[in-house]
Parts: sequence; C-alpha cells; structure tokens
Amino acid sequence: MSKTPQSLAFQDHFDLSPAVLRKILNVALSRGADFSEIFLEYKTFHFIKMEEDIIKETSESIGLGVGIRVISGGKTGYGYSNDPSFEKLKKTALTAAAIVSETQTHQGRELGFSGTYQPGLYPVLKPAHQEPLQDKIQLVKQAYFAAQDFDPRINKVRVGLTDQVQYTLVANSEGLLRADTKPLVKLVCFAIAESGKEREAGYSGGGGRVGLEYFDDTLSPDTIGRDAAQEAIHLLAAVQPPAGEMPVVLAPGHSGVLIHEAVGHLLEADFTRKKTSVFWDKMGTKVGNEQVYIYDDPTLPHYRGSYNMDDEGTVPQKTALIHSGKIVGLLQDRLSARLMSSQLTGHGRRQDFSCIPIPRMSNTYIDRGEYAPEEILKSVKRGFYALHYQGGQVEDSGKFTFSVRAGYLIEDGRLTSPVKQATLIGSNLDILQKICMVGSDLEFGLQTGTCGKEGQHAPVSDGCPTLKISKMTVGGQN
Amino acid sequence: MSTAHKRLSLLDLAEHMVAYGIKKGADEIEVTVQEGSEFSVDVRLGEIENLIEAGSRYISFRLNKDNKVASATSSDMELETLERLLEHALTRATLANPDPFVGLPKLGSSTFELETLQLYDPSVSEISSESKIALAHQTEALALAVKEISNSHGASFETREIRSVLANSNGFLHSYPETFCLLGVGLQAGDTNNLVEGYWSSGKRFFQDLESPEEIAHNAVQRTLRQLNPRKIPTQNIPVVFEPEMTSWLLGFLFSCISGVSIYNHASFLVDRMGTQIGNKLIHVVDDGLLPRKLGSAPFDSEGVPCRQTEVITDGILKNYLCNTYAAKKLDLKSTGNAAGSGVGPSNFFLKAGDSSPQAMIKSLDKGMILTRVLGHGLNPITGDISRGAFGLWVEKGEIVYPVSEMTISGNLGTVLNTMDMVGDDLIFRSSISGPSIRIAELTLAGT
Repeated sequence: MSKTPQSLAFQDHFDLSPAVLRKILNVALSRGADFSEIFLEYKTFHFIKMEEDIIKETSESIGLGVGIRVISGGKTGYGYSNDPSFEKLKKTALTAAAIVSETQTHQGRELGFSGTYQPGLYPVLKPAHQEPLQDKIQLVKQAYFAAQDFDPRINKVRVGLTDQVQYTLVANSEGLLRADTKPLVKLVCFAIAESGKEREAGYSGGGGRVGLEYFDDTLSPDTIGRDAAQEAIHLLAAVQPPAGEMPVVLAPGHSGVLIHEAVGHLLEADFTRKKTSVFWDKMGTKVGNEQVYIYDDPTLPHYRGSYNMDDEGTVPQKTALIHSGKIVGLLQDRLSARLMSSQLTGHGRRQDFSCIPIPRMSNTYIDRGEYAPEEILKSVKRGFYALHYQGGQVEDSGKFTFSVRAGYLIEDGRLTSPVKQATLIGSNLDILQKICMVGSDLEFGLQTGTCGKEGQHAPVSDGCPTLKISKMTVGGQN
Repeated sequence: MSTAHKRLSLLDLAEHMVAYGIKKGADEIEVTVQEGSEFSVDVRLGEIENLIEAGSRYISFRLNKDNKVASATSSDMELETLERLLEHALTRATLANPDPFVGLPKLGSSTFELETLQLYDPSVSEISSESKIALAHQTEALALAVKEISNSHGASFETREIRSVLANSNGFLHSYPETFCLLGVGLQAGDTNNLVEGYWSSGKRFFQDLESPEEIAHNAVQRTLRQLNPRKIPTQNIPVVFEPEMTSWLLGFLFSCISGVSIYNHASFLVDRMGTQIGNKLIHVVDDGLLPRKLGSAPFDSEGVPCRQTEVITDGILKNYLCNTYAAKKLDLKSTGNAAGSGVGPSNFFLKAGDSSPQAMIKSLDKGMILTRVLGHGLNPITGDISRGAFGLWVEKGEIVYPVSEMTISGNLGTVLNTMDMVGDDLIFRSSISGPSIRIAELTLAGT
C-alpha cells in the first residue's frame, strides 16, 4: 500500500493541510470557547439486492462532510457542511462559535498536532469496496439459493449485501490529530415460508469490520441463507407465547440485547451527568447478582462495534461496567468526561458529520459464568426460552423490553414447542437481581445490529452466555 | 483544485445529470436533488445545551439500461464525482438481471397547485435565533414550574427548510420548497428508583400552527404525572382504549401491511385480500397527499406521480394497496403516488374520525385499560402479530383509578381490525400517520 489511510482522507477528498485545520480551529475559538474540533468524513457505500431470483438493483453512495464543534462549559455549538472549501468551513466555524456570547476576539493558539495511528483492529485481505462486483454478487446468490433450496415451503427470499468504508479524521484545539479507516460489511437474508394459510419469516446475517475473506473462513453465505430459512420453517410450527410471569432462559449470543438495553444505555455517561438514569446515584453500589460481570469493549478485532479511535479521536479501552453485581464504570465521551472530571473511555460516537458525538456502546457483553447450559435448562420446570430477537428498547427509568422473534417453551427442563413473537418486559433494578444462573458458554450475536439513540444510528454488537432469570413478565396471548 | 468548485443551481444540476446519463447510454434516468438548512436548539434546566446551524445538499439518481437497474446517492456535490458515479452505475447495471417491471412512470404534462398545498411558510426563515432559543427556554420553564416535575430531558426547537428537485429523462422537471418547525419537551417525575417519563411536542409546516409553549408544557406535564405510582396487574384479556398517539402506531403497522412492496414480497398477512372485508364497518382509512399544510402532503411523489387521495379501507373493506410504479406493475395495479425513495411511503395516512367522544369510550369500560405508551418493536407484518411493552391507565366502572406499567399487550392486527368497536371523534393530524382514539373489544395484557 502506497498510501496510509490518513493521506487518503486528507488529500483525496479534502484540500485541508494541518495548517488549514489549525486556522479553522482558531476561527472556531475566536469568540472565547474552551474547545474546538473538526471532524472530517468520507464514506463510500455499496449495496446489492436480490429478490425473486434476480439481482434487482445495485447502488453506490458517497458521504462527504465536515462537522465543526465548539464547547464552552456545558454548551455545544455545532455546524456542518458538505462543501469542504476553506471559505465555507470558516463560515461553519463561526456559526459553531456563536454558542459563546462574548463579542471580544480571542488570540489564536499555537497548535502542535500529535496523535499516533493505532495498530489496526481490522486488517483485511480482500477489502469489500475494492473487490469486483461479480464476486460480491456471487456471495449474494449463494445465500439466496441456500435459503430457497432449504425446504420447498420457502416461498420468498430476499438477500442484501452492504459494504462501506469510512475515512474519518479528527483534529482539535488540544492538539490532537488522528485518523481511522473503518470497513463495515453486512450480508443479510430474509426468508418467508408458507404452508396453507400460515406464513412466517426468518432472518439471519453476518459481517463486521471484515474483508470478503470472512465469508470463506468465518461464516459462509450458505450458512446465513440456511439459518434464515430454518427459522422461518421453525416458526410455521410455532405456538403463541404464554402470558404472565415465569422463569426465562436466554439463549447465548444475541440475548446480549438484554444487557445492551437493561444496563448499557443507562451507564452511558450523559444520562448519569444529567441524573436522568436510574443508575446515576448508584456508582459503586450493588445492583445485580454477584455472578454478573458486564463489559463494553470497542477493541475486539473485526467486531461490528469496534474502532481504532472513537469519533472524537480517543483511543478506546475495554470498559468494565458491572463487576460482581456492582456498578464500576461509565461509557464516557469528551463532554461528559470534562463535566464529570472523569477519564475518557473512548465511547464518543456519531452517526456522521452532521451529528454531535454522544456516549455510545460498542460491543457489550455479560461475561461467562460457571454453569453448564444444560444445567441451567434442567433447573426450569416450566418457563420460556428466548432464542432470536428483533431488538429492544429502554427508557431512563430502567423499564425495558425486548422483542423475541423465536423461542421455545421449557417443560420439565427440556425445550418443547417452538414459540413465536413474544415481548419480555422488566425493570432493570429488578431483573439484574433476578439473573440467578450465568452460563459458561459466552457467544456474540449476529454481527448485523444497529443501535439508535437520539436519532443517531451506530453499528454495535452484543454478547451473552446462557442466562436464567428467575421470574420475568412474558407477553403472550391468553 | 476543489476551490474551483462547480456549483450549479439545483435545477441545472438535475437537468445536467439526466442529460449526462442519456448521453452515456442509459435508457431512462431519474434524478432527485435536495438542498436543506437546519436550525436546532436544545435547552436543559435553563441552559443551552446544543445549538446546531447548518446547510447541506444531497443528490440521488436511478437509471435503467436494458431493463437493468442501478442507483446512487452522494453528498459530495463535485460534478466530477457525480459523473463518475453515473458511469459506475451504468457499468453496474450490466451486471444486474433484466427485470421487465422496471421503468419510469408514464406522466402526462402536469401542473401542481403549490399555492393550495401550502407546504412552505416564508416566515420560518425570518424567526431570529434569539426567538427560537427563547421558545425552548419558555416551554421548559413552564414545565419545570410544576413542583412534582423532578428533572428534564430538555426542550428543543428546530426548523428545517428543504428544496427538492425531481427531473427525469421523459422531460419531467419540477421543484418545490417545504418548511418544518418542531417544539417539544421531555420530563421526569418521581424519585430515582421510581421514575416516570413523559414527552410532548408539536410539529407543523407553518410556524403559526404550532401549539403554544403553554399547551406543550401542560401536555408533557400531564402525561408525566399521570403515570406516578403505577401498579402491576394480573394477566388478563380486556377491552383497551387507544389514545390517538397509540392509534398512530397501529396505523403505521397497518401501512406496512398494505404497502404494495410488502404485498408483492408476500411479507404481509393482507396478501390477496383486496376487495374483502378485513375489519369492522366503522373503519375508514384514507391516504391523502393533498391536504393543505399537512406534514404528509406533497405535489408529487419521488417518481413525479401526482399525489392524490386514495381510499385504503372503506366500511371495513380493503380497497387499495399503496404503490409506487414498480409495485403497481408487479401487482397489475396503478401507482397511487406513494413512491418514497426506493420504496413506498405514506402521504397523510389516517383513520377517519368516528362519532364517539373519548370520554364516552372510557365511560363504556366496566373494567379495561387506556393505552398511553408503548415500548419495543414486536410487530410482524407477515402474521399481523402485535406484541409490545405497554403503559396505561386502569379503568373501573368508567373511571380512571390508577396507572399501570410493566405489562405487555398482545394481539393480531387482523383480529384488532375486526374487534375495533368504537372510533373516536378526536382526529388531529399530528404527524403523517394519524388517527383518533379507538376501542378494541379485547386484547391480552400480560402482567403478573
């Protein structure tokens, strides 16, 4: 490679030398703010869609823009533009600077930039954005036909492959200058099974910050297609979920969505700083069973939620949130860390250049415990087993839900009838106490998840071993 | 050098890209260009938290050659980049499979009544930053003055102006401007371990149509405080009254089940049901893109097909699926002017008001619940199954007795449409999908 990612971001898409960046940062400070920052983004995105046996459409997208942020105390001024000319950026910087009401002009600072390029968490052999379209179409077809050929009752299949590469560069008035190049690939399959009047859908997918070699050595398109078809067929025989309170066992992997909703969001530092989170006054307090250890780790190689630097240029760290049931950490961005006098953890993320960074999760998981999964299942006389999810939601009070696409009834310690479409609801302070068995089989869920907060979307992943919750409300039909 | 930026006007850029596409060999091409500007301020506990002011441009196009489709979008507006994207798209089109259903809509020459539609409020750009900030401050201060309110998620005021241009290779070239304003506030009450939350906002195209800070603060406060000290209830099947905001999500779910794209993909339980009774005779659902000043109105859809009024459900009978040109061809129907991006979207999609007052609906409950809020995503268009976290107000003998939380509601949209036995007279267009209060004869509430 002749070009480093930094030079790509700088020279190919922005005519902005470090000297120019310094000038703009100083313009942003000119009304007397504490801090200014420039975020440059250049993103390319490709999509292939297959349905009804044909490659129906391909698309390509380019996202280019600059966001300029000015902080003064707890106030943030923000401007953005997709015109990267110096004149336009100067104007954007002045707009952001208007958050400070002083009219006096301030002297520029001498900025010596520093910032090392991090060893990559996502080296790839076959970068998806450079591979021939024919090869990518081949992957899509493999998944498609694997789903269609799985069972004659599979009636409709849809497959989508998206790949993007995002160059980002952050420069700030504290002298930081750092860049990253993040690949992101996702292959998803939806399959619809029909039998008589019954119609059900299955879903599967995979990807991460990977190259196309992932589909050879980690997860094949065939497996993705078959898994989607299998889920649809499984649901044809499914019964309505039971309703009421009962023991719930969560399957390993994607059940991490429970931790994401019930714990992760409410330990994002902004909610503690604003005292809106039910956890704000519980740092160091025991809130869960002592088997519970929860981490957020943006440094897992190739995972969907990982990054070499966050969207404020901070090198991230694996962050402990809960240790032995006790709250030990928060996910910080720069603003919250400043206002709370805390260390940065590298969790300041933004959807794109038009968004202000906020504290976000990356790859969140509950660590393995000591129970064998079979032992956990055996301990339940009658209950609900949650297998696959379509997402969850939480509010600051700690009330959360997650939606189960597919599960099973548990009867006398065994999985019996398949169950469809159920919602689990609880309050986090209650449920964390009721996690009574933590399995030894930690897995991560599908590498296809996206988390929404304040209208901003970010790629994330969740992990979890088999878990038993002694009692939880399962929403089904009587 | 990039400072020698070629910045064409929006119309010129759209026309240039259409011409360039045809010149390079596309059979047909459609180009959308948008220019937007945004102002938003968040105020929390009396201080400004965020102030955003920005403008941006965006282009998207779709072309076909030999019945093969490729599309692209960009926020890099350099002509050189856009021409390269177009050349890439032509190359990619050769690798797709031919699809006999693709093609631009056949459009007659159209004139659009922008004056009557009233999508653009010139006064929005004249509101000073100070006034906008003051509105957010005032709304939050009014809410915080209520002593039971313990914390604030903040109040926001935002305005947006968008100008959209659509051009295609059949000679369509039209543009229109739009404005939006939004004022809202989010609140908390209760102690840390028993928090309740509420939110209220008003979003309109015309500034003068916005609810006042007093109304917004009052609604947010009421919606927060009425949830204090909730109880859990046992699992049971009971009648449920949906507040208008709850009817809206139910209608949003209905929309995803009658979208032509879902129908040809068999991703809906309403496949093959056109012309049949799918619900109670009280149900009349309409999609209307021509209501003056409403959020879902537009002169034409994203393919240039004129927006219109379409009956979706009349007397409980499914009358039309909502289609873009492609879905319509697949289903041997006509486009209903609902193209949105590459799919189908609602215009103003609403359940017509009935004749029951919300008070009468509550009075009608001997034992039941008013659904006030939901959490979670459990909606499955393929089966019609509904399963969501729920919050509400418990009603006995026609009187609200206490709030309830940590429940789920479950049912099936097919059944819900048939058991909707009262429709309220309180329809207000608060978003592009709206409905009045409704009563569902029976749903399962799961609690303890």
